[in-house]
Amino acid sequence: MLTYLIRRILLLIPTLLGITILVFGVMAAAPGGIGGPLLNERGGQVGGANQQRIREYYEKRYGLNKPYAIQYLRWLNNISPVGFRVNEDGSLGRIAVKWPDLGESITQRRPVSDLLKDALPVTLILNLVSIPLVYVIGIVSGIIAARNRGNAADVGIGTSQLALWSIPTIWSGVLLIGFLANREYVNWFPTGGLTSVGSLDASFLPSHVDGRWQAGFLVDRVWHLILPVVCLSYGGFAFLSKLMRGSILDNLGADYVRTARAKGLNENVILYRHVFRNSLLSLITVAAAILPSLLGGSIVVETIFGLPGMGKLSVDAVSLRDRELVLGLTFVGGLIGLTSMVLRDVLYAMADPRVTYD
Amino acid sequence: MTKLSASEPIGNPGKPGPGETDSTRDPLTVVRRSLVRQVARDVLVRWGAQIGIVWVGLLVVLAVLAPVLANSHPLLMKSKDGELSSPWVKHLSTADCTLLVTAVAFVIIVLTRWRASTKVWLLLAVIVVTAITSSIFVKQRFTSPDTYRDRLKSGEIEWAARAPIPYSPDDRQLDDPTARLRSPAGRHWMGTTATGADLASNMIHACRIALSIGFISTGIAVVIGVVIGGMMGYYAGVVDLLGMRLVEIFSAIPTLLLLLCFVAVFTPNLYMMMAIIGLTSWEGYAVFTRAEFLSLRQRDFVQSAIASGVPLRSVLFRHMLPNGITPVLISASFGVASAILAESTLSFLGIGLGVDEASWGKLLADARSSGGTFYWWLAVFPGVAIFLTVFAYNLIGEALRDALDPKVLKN
Repeated sequence: MLTYLIRRILLLIPTLLGITILVFGVMAAAPGGIGGPLLNERGGQVGGANQQRIREYYEKRYGLNKPYAIQYLRWLNNISPVGFRVNEDGSLGRIAVKWPDLGESITQRRPVSDLLKDALPVTLILNLVSIPLVYVIGIVSGIIAARNRGNAADVGIGTSQLALWSIPTIWSGVLLIGFLANREYVNWFPTGGLTSVGSLDASFLPSHVDGRWQAGFLVDRVWHLILPVVCLSYGGFAFLSKLMRGSILDNLGADYVRTARAKGLNENVILYRHVFRNSLLSLITVAAAILPSLLGGSIVVETIFGLPGMGKLSVDAVSLRDRELVLGLTFVGGLIGLTSMVLRDVLYAMADPRVTYD
Repeated sequence: MTKLSASEPIGNPGKPGPGETDSTRDPLTVVRRSLVRQVARDVLVRWGAQIGIVWVGLLVVLAVLAPVLANSHPLLMKSKDGELSSPWVKHLSTADCTLLVTAVAFVIIVLTRWRASTKVWLLLAVIVVTAITSSIFVKQRFTSPDTYRDRLKSGEIEWAARAPIPYSPDDRQLDDPTARLRSPAGRHWMGTTATGADLASNMIHACRIALSIGFISTGIAVVIGVVIGGMMGYYAGVVDLLGMRLVEIFSAIPTLLLLLCFVAVFTPNLYMMMAIIGLTSWEGYAVFTRAEFLSLRQRDFVQSAIASGVPLRSVLFRHMLPNGITPVLISASFGVASAILAESTLSFLGIGLGVDEASWGKLLADARSSGGTFYWWLAVFPGVAIFLTVFAYNLIGEALRDALDPKVLKN
């Protein structure tokens, strides 16, 4: 197991390199190259000799006048924990152990790590609320469907969940905001954002201040999160429910269930003590796939609801072609995705004693 | 050898699928049927597949007939000096011509009694020939759609037979300043868009993009995935290790993020978009093909094909592929749905197709103005279209899986 784990972790390195090379290559292949919009926009406003000066400044600062390979290696050197120190004037110093540096966003002029630090909690909150919801609803409805296999309930759940799964998030988001957060229809929810004006100053829990009730920070935050979480989770639980149903049905046909029935065990005991636990195995395998897809889904949800998370950040970064930010985002996104893949394999081996990797 | 390998491991072809009620057949005689026929039969009896196919068929009809159904140029008109003309024919684009000719050829070819392979080749030939000739000979003309309305009003045109929706998708009705963002009423069945174009007309013309994006990008993804996955499964070892890294690269980053990077950087046209969606969604097919090939390469019929000196290309694609393609086919049907979803999401986010292409996702994006007003018709109609199309492909995929998956048969 340990050997396997070490091997997997070592194999992460070429994959991560591949991800960054792919993204870097795509950005470099763009018309105008890396930083093209930056040089044109920022320089274009000034014109003349100043434009040239600004151009030179940016080229030197981000190394844009170097060949792409050198630019990439420089970026790689910056993010690696062991590498050359970079001096003030851009020349390379001695090899040392250093803190990984994701660089500075070209358009926002802030360190990429700062931007990520601001954006990551928003996406994490969204996903941490959604994932348990997705799993609970998915598992429960999967069990109901499997117990009523072939009945109207099963067909109904199956079809409606396929329909739910097919509803595009862009549509449900627009409809929810349009009808439930609009003065012309029902104005129950905020149109976007994470906090109302003033709620940051309010107390955490609902409280009675100056003869009036104040909702407080927590209620306000929940109120803002309801619609985004709904949008993010319905597709996931439809998918999981189908999977759960299939895996319960597979297990119900297994030999050990026949043995249990022959012993005269109660059907409920068979379902919940034997079959249920074995069926959860297949959910572990998709857990890894769900994390990247929720991150991808949060791109849409965050854009629609105007939440300042990783998804919104990546749409902004990509459309402005902000090289450092895009590279940083894909690096972190890829790291999360790959780690969850390794985690899945390890969990799978831990949960299922039949699986070994030796 | 090919015959044998294609029919042997697929199993008893006469076995009835679930839901199939064929009581007239003698259970003892084994009916030999080709895999395609058998699958088509098993799939078509399912109501989910029927609904899905009806909807997709409707989209195909709308896509082909778009220039007849929604066009600013009159189908037939008579000017004051008694001259009859059909302006819509002159304003057909290359794509319009190719689609119309192909559709007519398709109907004719289907009605003939030739062999299936002849029909397919003939149809492909027709498509290629019309595409080439029409791209050479069809010249894009431009007449402002407003002129017809002006001339009708002034009496220069005596009468005109117009399309059911007398607006082209790019007809922004510049002669009518109040035309923008009107709710459904009168001539505009589904209202108008932010630029003053007719929504129904845009919806009909957008069927083409949805259909072509779905099929072609999934086709590209399947080809890439099958080739890479086949190599990985056949050679195993180092090739497998390297290929697996490639698969991991593409599956670790959320597909949407990868798509965003590609699309934002290349500002694509329709064809680029198809290629990009295909290039970023092949990894699932590669994994399936790899798993199938890993087990197939040990089988006797593959070993004997290799031993008898059959070229590698033939071993991989004629002997192994037909036996390992099933999971790929099933997921390809879901892949069509997600390709359509990807295109509309990108267009919704404003980094998809250019302004001239009508796309459901782009129409949906205009439903909310920055001021907070909600134009419900721009949300409901395009959204329903995307949803129904994705749902239709998912239903077909589900039916295909039920028909092909041996596990489901066992249950």
